[in-house]
Amino acid sequence: MVARLLVGMLFLVGLWGVVAKRNLVKKVFGLSILNSAVVLLFVMEGSRSGTAAPIMDAGVADIVDPVPQALMLTAIVIGVCVTALALGMAFRLHRATGSFDIDTIKERLRHGPF
Amino acid sequence: MRRAQAAGPILGALSLMALSALVLWPVVAGDSPWPLAPGDYLEARGQAESGAQNLVSAIYLGYRAYDTLGEAIVLLVAVTGAIGMIASAGDARGGAADTRFGGAARRRTELLDVVTGKLGPVVLVFGVYVMMFGHISPGGGFQGGVVVASGIVFLSLGRRSSHGPRITRAGTLAAVEALSFLVIMLAVGLGLVTGSGFMGNPLPGASPVVSIVVLNALIGLKVGAGISLMCVAMLAEANEPW
Repeated sequence: MVARLLVGMLFLVGLWGVVAKRNLVKKVFGLSILNSAVVLLFVMEGSRSGTAAPIMDAGVADIVDPVPQALMLTAIVIGVCVTALALGMAFRLHRATGSFDIDTIKERLRHGPF
Repeated sequence: MRRAQAAGPILGALSLMALSALVLWPVVAGDSPWPLAPGDYLEARGQAESGAQNLVSAIYLGYRAYDTLGEAIVLLVAVTGAIGMIASAGDARGGAADTRFGGAARRRTELLDVVTGKLGPVVLVFGVYVMMFGHISPGGGFQGGVVVASGIVFLSLGRRSSHGPRITRAGTLAAVEALSFLVIMLAVGLGLVTGSGFMGNPLPGASPVVSIVVLNALIGLKVGAGISLMCVAMLAEANEPW
């Protein structure tokens, strides 16, 4: 229960970063934290289903469910893809306007020669 | 008027938190038991059916290989998009972008050169190990590929001039990624020719673990090349002609 609440708070921290921060790179950090919170939730819940790692050496018994771990492998890779694309967009906007601040970017895009 | 303006964000934050609590409450408070059937099935039969000791590898390259193929395509598309955005950005303001942090010249120090240059090959070897032994120990293509990518980033940080090792050049990395994806498609399509179907085991007598090892190596190459290509491009080398 406490662990779930902590993961939920981590999720909210990420959401706060995405919504409230003005710096584009910090927004990407927030997105990454959101993703990590979901990954942590899955791995934590899966870890309750057994005691040993799901690697079938001789004598290993009572392994944890490997399905959420395999699922989170996919989620991590997709998270990297999302982060990379978001950073690419931030890079492009910085090239065009010289700033990472969303208000400055908006201002310069409105008044600049673009 | 001003009071109303100040109250807006606070009300927004409160309603956001209330909504999140509403959505997340079942997750936090639910106590439904973990479904044990898939885990028990894999524990009993997973190694025999796929040949891989590491059941996570058995899932993502055996039972769910279609999903992994889609994942590799998503990664390819993301790398293509990011590279496209970085490379075509150019200098829209004719070099008026913020250069307070000195650009490339100040990033190179002796410490960085020595540490990253010596560490890079070791990290590369470790990445290949993680990649090739994913079926019997923790690791696999994606994890090993990321380690390989960090090794390549080390090498490209540690080089002194623009004539670094060929492995850190964007053109080489792009070619490796494209080639390894082509070989992945050929490997999973080989079963169509031999009659075992798409993604089927092409050699009827061979253990299914062979396909897991081969796919791990190919995916590791592809992921390593793709992610290091993005990093190398973001290390301000995008302006160099490829």
